[in-house]
Amino acid sequence: MISLVSRSLQLLLLLLIACTATAEHTSNWAVLVSTSRFWFNYRHLANVLSLYRTVKRLGIPDSQIILMLPDDMACNPRNAFPGTVYSNADRAVDLYGDNIEVDYRGYEVTVENFIRLLTDRLDEDVPRSKRLGSDAGSNVLVYMTGHGGDQFLKFQDAEEIGAWDLADAFGQMWEKKRYHELLFMIDTCQANTMYTHFYSPNIVATGSSELDQSSYSHHADNDVGVAVIDRWTYYVLEFLETQVTSANSKLNLGDLFDSYDESKIHSQPGVRWDLFPGGEPEGRLRTVVDFFGNVQNVEVENANATEPGSLKEDLAEIAKLVEKWQRRDEEYSAILNNSTQQTENRPSSSVHLNQKKTVGPTRMTDESSWGKRLVGLSVIGACTAIWVAGSYLGR
Amino acid sequence: MALKSAIRNLRNNPHLLFVRLPNLLSFLCIIVGVVWLLLLPLNEYSRNTYISENALLPGQVHAYFTGSEQNIFRGYKQELEGLLNVGQKSEDGQDQVELTPVISNKIRSVFEASGLKVATQKYEYKSAGITHEGENTYGIIHAPRGDATEAIVLIATWKTANDELNLNGVTLALTLARYFKRWSLWSKDIIFLITPDSKSGTQAWVDAYHDLQPESVQPLPLKSGALQGAVAIEYPFDHRFKNLHIVYDGVNGQLPNLDLFNTAVAIAGGQMGIGSNLQEMWEHDDSYEARLQTMLRGMAKQGLGYATGAHSSFMPYHIDAITLQTKGEGWEDEMALGRTIESLCRSLNNLLEHLHQSFFFYLLMQSNRFVSIGTYLPSAMLIAGNFTIMAIALWMRTGYHEDAKSDMSSDSSQSKKKGSASVTSKSGKPVGLNGPAVAERLLALPLTLVTGLHLLGLVPLYIFNTIPHQFFTTATYIFVVVDIVLPLILAVLLSNGLGLSTPLVPQQYLLIKSFALLLLGLSLSTLATLNFSLSLTIGLLCAPLSFITRSDCSSNPQRFALSGLGLGLLNLLSPPAVLLGACQYTGVSVETVLTEAAYGWDVWGMWTQVVVWCVWWPAWLIGCVLLGSSIF
Repeated sequence: MISLVSRSLQLLLLLLIACTATAEHTSNWAVLVSTSRFWFNYRHLANVLSLYRTVKRLGIPDSQIILMLPDDMACNPRNAFPGTVYSNADRAVDLYGDNIEVDYRGYEVTVENFIRLLTDRLDEDVPRSKRLGSDAGSNVLVYMTGHGGDQFLKFQDAEEIGAWDLADAFGQMWEKKRYHELLFMIDTCQANTMYTHFYSPNIVATGSSELDQSSYSHHADNDVGVAVIDRWTYYVLEFLETQVTSANSKLNLGDLFDSYDESKIHSQPGVRWDLFPGGEPEGRLRTVVDFFGNVQNVEVENANATEPGSLKEDLAEIAKLVEKWQRRDEEYSAILNNSTQQTENRPSSSVHLNQKKTVGPTRMTDESSWGKRLVGLSVIGACTAIWVAGSYLGR
Repeated sequence: MALKSAIRNLRNNPHLLFVRLPNLLSFLCIIVGVVWLLLLPLNEYSRNTYISENALLPGQVHAYFTGSEQNIFRGYKQELEGLLNVGQKSEDGQDQVELTPVISNKIRSVFEASGLKVATQKYEYKSAGITHEGENTYGIIHAPRGDATEAIVLIATWKTANDELNLNGVTLALTLARYFKRWSLWSKDIIFLITPDSKSGTQAWVDAYHDLQPESVQPLPLKSGALQGAVAIEYPFDHRFKNLHIVYDGVNGQLPNLDLFNTAVAIAGGQMGIGSNLQEMWEHDDSYEARLQTMLRGMAKQGLGYATGAHSSFMPYHIDAITLQTKGEGWEDEMALGRTIESLCRSLNNLLEHLHQSFFFYLLMQSNRFVSIGTYLPSAMLIAGNFTIMAIALWMRTGYHEDAKSDMSSDSSQSKKKGSASVTSKSGKPVGLNGPAVAERLLALPLTLVTGLHLLGLVPLYIFNTIPHQFFTTATYIFVVVDIVLPLILAVLLSNGLGLSTPLVPQQYLLIKSFALLLLGLSLSTLATLNFSLSLTIGLLCAPLSFITRSDCSSNPQRFALSGLGLGLLNLLSPPAVLLGACQYTGVSVETVLTEAAYGWDVWGMWTQVVVWCVWWPAWLIGCVLLGSSIF
């Protein structure tokens, strides 16, 4: 009987493990970062705001979007259209609109704050809006734009984040179970160098340009007087806005990356698949809305957790115990055989233990179960009698 | 081994080491310096201009100054024209109309009607017996959404730098003020400044803006933030224009940031399709000759260091400024100029900090080609270095006894035979391994003389900056005579030991020359970093001073003839003689030049005269004294 139980437990465990590997994520988070300030970098803020608008359209709520804007273009005195930010010269969509929540603004956008945000090394008094509340079931979209170079991205003219810093931040996120899958997008000069050092699993990374390549702006608005959007972001957005029309879109990352047209982008965008389990073939199948949209999947409490006390942990522990019992069982039977062949009394601890163990179940069976059953029956009977009496009397 | 023996030979040959080698080196320095300068216009040594400052974004905005604004312009112009005293025409038929209080009031009321804050400032300058006075009118547009910490200045002078009536320019400024006031996108205040002339008005205004005005200039009742840039507009005729002439030279050869010039060229050429000229080069075919000529004209202006326009006065305060002058006969009208200025203002408005990215030291040779200080500086440095080399060589040479040379030449074969073991002296003189003996230098008299003559330079500096302008020509001719006589008198005095001591020994003459050249070399190499052109010009004019020396060995008639000829030639290179020659060549009267110079000293804070009278003139005088002393 024990072997049967153990086998079924093992099966359950296997099922569970297989389940976590292909499990759907349970929440979506987006971290959208512009790293440059000043009027002439209008386009970087427009990039981020465009993407902000898209992820909101596809269903990620403001509470799950961390928006980092180092400057306020809408209120810049040089802005010919006060209170607005546009990412297209046709000025059809005001990105600033009425409902925008900037979580990190101005000089709060620093490398330190960004890394603290990702790795959740924040003080207790930091409000929820400034925290990335993702967990092991969250798909996280990280989009960055600014001025960069070979393996660095400038933050606000004062400091820079290196490719290793970013890789380590994502590494810690993985260790702290802060993402399930992560899509990293970056639009800057020599962008692809930024993800070369990533080492934690389940990351798909894409950038706008290769080493020694510049990323270019797409077009300028002659009334605003500055370039309003970068090329790569423009074409990514074009795909998202025209193809991914609803949160139910079945288009996958493969489609998105296949839409890159070097002749339009004027630089060579890159994609990194190797950290993703299953590599490119598996990664391509992830839908775009897995990262840009939101899910409403219900999460079984602690189903995927592995800390002490969780279901998974318990199951594993039970499986281990079952195995131990099995071994003991075999040993015991072997000893029994040996003892019948050789000597009757052998002062071995294992026998002693076995004897003790056998005592345990007997003790349990010794309890007067019949008595308990009688008590139970009488209680039920009494209750029924009260009910019958009550219903009869209440009529 | 060959090298070692060569060095040993050199050490044992003081004549070669201290006389011939420095001469050769100095000469090479001058030649290389000049050739270097001539190479600069080549493609390999000059560079294309580019915009360094990301924030400028020249020509990226659409300029809307068109259409109905032209009617406003015509209206304002008519109003101003009605106030001109046309009867006041001068004999040559040109309008000689001053900025009268009536016109000033009109300008004031136009600014006020456009919603600007207006103020006026009276000023008065006296220089070389001439009084310059006038009243500046200016209006400020406060940035509607900006903080009042920065400002841009638009200047329209009533009279252009060439003394023409700048009616279109002033009217354009008034129209632009009305037009700009309606935009809400200014991050900096915009100041419209109307001055009576381009020489004194802006100087008075910018001095007062920084509270550094003299007594005779009124303080400003109304101010704004730190000035970030200034653009002066000149449109002194009624027909349409073809090109923009961009004037950028400041006082003392200071230049505006190259980005400002580039932005103006980029906007005019790229956005408006208006060509731009510089340094009065109307026909520039981008050939080597044209480039060289442009560069040399720029250097001449820089070297003279005078204010070339209304913008020049801003440069000493580190405010980048240019003047846009309309030139030629074409199809561009005042609206095109207005749009250019609008776009330029939008670019300056984009600035986040003071222009600092691009070069402040450069030579332009075409509106899109320049050399930076790193490339051109060696030229002036080599020429200044030649004096220093010579001075050091002379100093070393004075450390040896005069007879050591003959000793060495006669004993060289002997000492070679003896080998390096012969360290003992002959005839009681200590002879080191280096051969000649060490002499004591008699420093007192040479030092006193050189210092005294440099201080003497203050006398002409004072005279030429204080006497009334009518006497300038006479004073110059008198000074030519003084320059002929003074060295001879000094030479006679010196050969008599100034009546104090025994006649001067040759070593003292060498020391005098050494100190004079040392000072000249030091001053010029320092000056080269500040005003390259002035340093180079004076270096070239002083070049002969390295090589002239007091000769006393050759026979008498030959010596007299040589010295006399040398003195004559050197007198052609004296500061007043060069001034007369240059005036003759350019056709400008001496009086005009010196009046301008005195004005520069009194008003603009120009330092050119100090360099001429306290660096160049003393060095030249000492050269003449040395040459003259060989006669007596």
